[in-house]
Amino acid sequence: MPGPDLLSSQGLRLDGRRPNELRRIRCKMGVFTQPDGSAYLEQGNTKVLAAVYGPHQAAKSKSSTEGVVVNCQYSMATFSTGERKNRPRGDRKSQEMSLHLRQALTAAIKTELYPRSQIDVYVEVLQADGGAYCVCVNAATLALIDAGIPLRAYACACSASMAWHGGQPEPLVDVGHVEEAAGGVVLTVASLPSTENIALLEMSHRLHMDYFDVVLSRAMQGCRDIEVILDKAVREHLAEGWTKEDVVTI
Amino acid sequence: MWTSKTFLYKTKRGNILKIVREHYLRDDLLCGSGACKTCPHKDDEIVLMSQAESICALFDYPHYLVLDTNVVLHQIDVLEEDALTNVIILQTVLEEVKHQNTAIFQRLLEIIGNKRRKFYSFVNEHHKDTYVERNPGEKQNDRNDRAIRRAVAWYEAHLSINRVNIESPRVVLLTDDENNRKIAQDEGIICCSVKDYVENVNGFPGLVDKLSKNVIPENCSKDALYPAHLTPTQIHAGIRNGKLYQGIFHASRDNFLEGSVVVNAFEKSILLQGHIGINRAVDGDTVAIEIFPEEEWRKPSDIVLEDKSEDPGDLLEEETVLLKSTKTNSNDEVTPTGKVVGIIKRKWRQYCGILMPSRLPGATRHLFTPAEKRIPRVRIETRQSDVLASQRILVALDSWPRNSRYPLGHFVRALGPIGDKDAENEVILLEHDVPHARFSEAVLACLPPNDWTIPKEEINKRVDLRPICICSVDPPGCTDIDDALHARRIKGTTDDGLKKYEVGVHIADVTYFVRPNTALDKEAASRSTTVYLVDRRIDMVPDLLSSNLCSLRGGEERLAFSCVWEVDENANILSTKFHKSVIKSAAAMTYEEAQIAIDDESRKDEIASSLRVLNSLAKKLKRRRLDNGALLLASPEIRFQVDSETHDPVEVQAKKLMDTNSMVEEFMLLANISVAQRLAAEYPQCALLRRHPAPPPVNFVNFLKAARQQGFELDVSTNKSFSKSLDEAVIPGRPYFNTLLRIMATRCMQQAVYFSSGTCAQEDFYHYGLACPIYTHFTSPIRRYADVIVHRLLAACVGCDVTHASLLDNKAADALCDNLNYRHRQAQYAGRASVALNTHILFRNRVEIESAVVLAVKRNALQVLIPKYGLEGPLYLPSDKFTYNDEEHVQICGKVILKTFDELTVRLSLDSSNLQHRKLIFQLVKPYVPDFSYKVEDMDVEFVEESDLPQKIEKKRKGTEAKLSKKSKKK
Amino acid sequence: MADLLLSSTEKIFIVHGVQDDYRSDGRSNIDYRPMELETEVVSHASGSARLRLANTDVLVGVKTEIDTPKPDQPGLGKIEFFVDCSANATPEFEGRGGEQLANSISNMMQRAYQSSQAFELKQLCILEGKQCWKLYIDILILESGGNLYDAVSLAVKAALFNTRIPFVKAVLMDGGNVDLQLSDDPYDCKHLDVGCAPLLITLCKIGDKCVVDPSAEEESCSVISVVVGVTGNTKSYCSGKEIDSVKSLERKCSTIGMNGSGSLAPQTLQSAIMQGMVAAESLDEALGQALLRERQENVILKKHAYGFLK
Repeated sequence: MPGPDLLSSQGLRLDGRRPNELRRIRCKMGVFTQPDGSAYLEQGNTKVLAAVYGPHQAAKSKSSTEGVVVNCQYSMATFSTGERKNRPRGDRKSQEMSLHLRQALTAAIKTELYPRSQIDVYVEVLQADGGAYCVCVNAATLALIDAGIPLRAYACACSASMAWHGGQPEPLVDVGHVEEAAGGVVLTVASLPSTENIALLEMSHRLHMDYFDVVLSRAMQGCRDIEVILDKAVREHLAEGWTKEDVVTI
Repeated sequence: MWTSKTFLYKTKRGNILKIVREHYLRDDLLCGSGACKTCPHKDDEIVLMSQAESICALFDYPHYLVLDTNVVLHQIDVLEEDALTNVIILQTVLEEVKHQNTAIFQRLLEIIGNKRRKFYSFVNEHHKDTYVERNPGEKQNDRNDRAIRRAVAWYEAHLSINRVNIESPRVVLLTDDENNRKIAQDEGIICCSVKDYVENVNGFPGLVDKLSKNVIPENCSKDALYPAHLTPTQIHAGIRNGKLYQGIFHASRDNFLEGSVVVNAFEKSILLQGHIGINRAVDGDTVAIEIFPEEEWRKPSDIVLEDKSEDPGDLLEEETVLLKSTKTNSNDEVTPTGKVVGIIKRKWRQYCGILMPSRLPGATRHLFTPAEKRIPRVRIETRQSDVLASQRILVALDSWPRNSRYPLGHFVRALGPIGDKDAENEVILLEHDVPHARFSEAVLACLPPNDWTIPKEEINKRVDLRPICICSVDPPGCTDIDDALHARRIKGTTDDGLKKYEVGVHIADVTYFVRPNTALDKEAASRSTTVYLVDRRIDMVPDLLSSNLCSLRGGEERLAFSCVWEVDENANILSTKFHKSVIKSAAAMTYEEAQIAIDDESRKDEIASSLRVLNSLAKKLKRRRLDNGALLLASPEIRFQVDSETHDPVEVQAKKLMDTNSMVEEFMLLANISVAQRLAAEYPQCALLRRHPAPPPVNFVNFLKAARQQGFELDVSTNKSFSKSLDEAVIPGRPYFNTLLRIMATRCMQQAVYFSSGTCAQEDFYHYGLACPIYTHFTSPIRRYADVIVHRLLAACVGCDVTHASLLDNKAADALCDNLNYRHRQAQYAGRASVALNTHILFRNRVEIESAVVLAVKRNALQVLIPKYGLEGPLYLPSDKFTYNDEEHVQICGKVILKTFDELTVRLSLDSSNLQHRKLIFQLVKPYVPDFSYKVEDMDVEFVEESDLPQKIEKKRKGTEAKLSKKSKKK
Repeated sequence: MADLLLSSTEKIFIVHGVQDDYRSDGRSNIDYRPMELETEVVSHASGSARLRLANTDVLVGVKTEIDTPKPDQPGLGKIEFFVDCSANATPEFEGRGGEQLANSISNMMQRAYQSSQAFELKQLCILEGKQCWKLYIDILILESGGNLYDAVSLAVKAALFNTRIPFVKAVLMDGGNVDLQLSDDPYDCKHLDVGCAPLLITLCKIGDKCVVDPSAEEESCSVISVVVGVTGNTKSYCSGKEIDSVKSLERKCSTIGMNGSGSLAPQTLQSAIMQGMVAAESLDEALGQALLRERQENVILKKHAYGFLK
């Protein structure tokens, strides 16, 4: 069958996860003081910092009367990858990532509330171990919430791939670097899980149409799982430092 | 579903990169034991029995076994016996085995997959309690041993939780590493060596024989016979700095003390001589060699040397015979000579052969002689020598220590009595790597029920061709009918006023039953082809499909894949369409019946008229094809007439070739070409096609020289000119000469191969033999897997079926082609070996005098062919009588000059002095050479008139490529 | 740097505070703000450190590569600094906005590490004239709350201290090719000797006096600052018995640079340098202690990095 063995005969993936399990997600909001919102999020060994500035007055060239302009920059630390990168940004891939990020986040932000304004979202990949884009979207969502920017829904992104187990197709959620490098298909979905809408879908390599649905639904399930985790993190963050009395006085 | 897991990381340093991988540890992994009450097992997840009865006298309580990696690697034959059950295979072990030997890994997986064996694979590397991290300074192997011990200790503790009233199983670690055993014992783990365990097993007497001898021999004191091999690092360094070379060792067929290695840096292959030079390399091994300085180079000896039949013990005999005879005289003939200094990779498999029991009564050590001459004899240990002596047996090689003259191996299984037809067939199948086991349960589960009929909705989806008069034409006794034909006049004429016909080729719709990725599909893909032995057929798909549901039998409704053309009366194609259909064959005929129907002018029925149309169109197609340069080649093949009771061959027969043979063939070719064109257009990257490269001119050199001696200048520049000059090369009065020429031409050809269209440039698609720019196999899906794939591709592009992912995957297609080509080749060799076997059986009790032709002239022999039997072999010429002319390739003795294509008379008999290698002896009868030729008292016995020679011998299957598939005849 | 809007009275308040050796955040002129340091935060890298000095946040990753030495220095390895000012710190750094600042920091670092007394490049040599290690010191500025030079130099030294280089056996083959043999044991590697690696001390002239570790507000009140690179003392970076075998080295100034539009009197400069040397000494010692403590904790407790989660 095509593709290398991504699943062991016991149904475990190379790193010991089951096909429907995400990597360990840990996150923290408000890591910096200067930006209006910031967040740190790691999925396994992929680690991302996100900072949000704004909304503030938009640069003239960008300004739009329709709604807020979401300005994104995707950047990777030079030491983030296995082999050292020469430039943190400005290469084609980073620019494409910036655009994709913008697309997913614009779908989540209530843009109509801030015409002629601009929101800057900067993400910095500290360590890349597969699925960097997804982690960036998730981190940026947290940073936007930290900045108090009204969102329609959580924007969550998740990837999925395909493997074979006992002759049956078995999609894998939250693809790690090793699985990505194995050369199989990687389907990346950014969605607003609570509205079931897909904000961005991207696929590398070839996937047979017959299996598209199962892979997509696995990625969507991953988004929903991530949303639960993000929601819990947000609630915990907001509860932090507040005692019962504080709540009463408010 | 998302419990948090302890996260650890493993760092690996490859090159200079620091690689960090995640490694999740879990708490939801099951122990797989029926005695466990803590793990939340479902019923089907329990593998190990709660009451694991002990079969070993050393342990009188129920227990499970844990094996270490080396035990699996060395004792896989013991494991494959049904004796040991309730075994825990740790993931650590599984991964190490996979890393070190994929073949053994596959075998291990098979054992694990067998429910009755109760082998449980436990994922200890991801279990939170059994994972161990490598300590600073610890070797990887030590770490793995520690991980295994940790897992054993965990199991012991885990199972003891329940050990209150019931006797729950203990865990025993089997390892041959003494050091490991010591540590384990200190840690309180029960452990044992494999040898001790197996020798104390009750109830399985044969098990001990299967113990691998890959243990350090106790009597290490014995002197080493062979020089030590270099370590892998030394070899690596040596190859890097150019002192050593790497290559695959090929042992000589004729001389067991000689072999060669092909190395990239040298044009000629490197010669290796003597025990020391070969230094324990076995045919097929990848070896590291050192090349001697040029003054020590020799030329290959041309003597035949067989290993003596006595067991000389662990001594290396003097090799003076060999060395003396190879003293060089001229410099051109020396080849680079060297010696093996290390083994890079062994390519040992299991070998068929016979046991040569030791002379000593009651001895357990015996010699084994493999059927393959290139494999050295093997020393094995068995207590059943008296039983096995008369059997064909299978033996695995284990090791070849320095102090042993022969490699050590162990008995795997007996195949049957020597000389027994089934046992000999088994040998042929095993030696040619033909998968021939009975179809597994999983495969049989994919089959439809025996009484399956075509469902209504399936008929609705297809084009209904049942009313059309379709018939099949096959050799007699054919049960796997995969093609049928029809032709009928249709209304209208072409613009030129020619008549129009509709012609259909209907191929069994195997892919309806063989769905992608099922066990059935995988099995068929692995087998790749049906293998035809003289008296046995090894089916690619189970009998229910091959001989019934897919076979287009007369009078029965069958699913088919149809290719339908509109042609004019000159056989020009006007349109082509492909569709799935339902057909009902009006008659399943033999070639002969069809021929009679055509010839019998009184028959005016639909079948006969349809056949006549087909026949006339086929002739036009053939003419056009030959005009384009297609080659008509020949091959000396025979069919056996088999005794109906004993299945022993009683006579050979040549079959008459009728028009109908070529009629069917033409339409199959046409269908294949049409399908190939369609596929190549639809799938530029992954269409499965078949190509036949033009032979390089050098292949023809000897052939042209021989033809010139007979007075013919052949033009081989293109297939067209070649075909033409072959047609013209006729000697009146020697009708067989032309056939012989074609047989020889066949041997100059390359092999046709399957390939995926993405891997080749468009111009290389050319099929030289058929002279068509593109070709594939579509018409025999019952017996060739390539056709199954082609069916699927075609079905997807005409919208009858969904595609599936691997079909469009380039890499998968490429790997598939490799397997198809390999299996196809092996099937041909196996078929030929089967013919040879039957010829030997035929000659067991007879001596014949037959006419023969010379195929080639060698230094000490003539290669002759007996056309009647398709038999080929050497006729040795003594050098004191004959002189060999190197330039002209002729042997001269007085007035007698023997050259290629000459016709002789020879006496044939079977030499049974060596049971392993019975061989046919050819003796010259005519022309008469005094003191050499065999004197026949009555010279006119059994003289076969030349006109009786088979004009053209038909291949067993009328396969569309019947002529071409034989070109691999080269030895 | 962050665009701070300070009124003139605020500025006067800061200047007066400095004059009285009592700064607006309560420090004296030679006091540093509290800082947090963690090493081994980027598991991909050979060595890494994150330093947070008040609101200044610097992440350093060290990557190694095999390279060939320069022909004129066959026995030496290579070291290269790269600074990236992340837009996370301020939107002004977006795109190529932070490049100028980044270049000036990386040039300063490169100069400070150039001397063999500051950093021994010999320890990066694998096979003389053929193979050496090249260290890429990648500095990522995540937040800028003033005093970047000091923060960067501290983080770099910590990251180098954390760096482990695998043991490699190099064998010279025929034809001048080098064959590298690597051990499969991940623990088989060496720490770098970074004791004398320099620290940069920024002395910011506010009014007539110089202060160390200026905050972003203080920086905006200053027209000129002096950056002094001072080599470290190996002794502070050795634990246990090694300590006795190492000579205490005299601190040396490995580089001096000036930033800003103003000018300085020579005397002020000299006193500033002296002040920097003193500050460097205590800073270096504190850093050494902190790093040794952390290394020990890592070995004993097998602690995993907190990274940004703390």
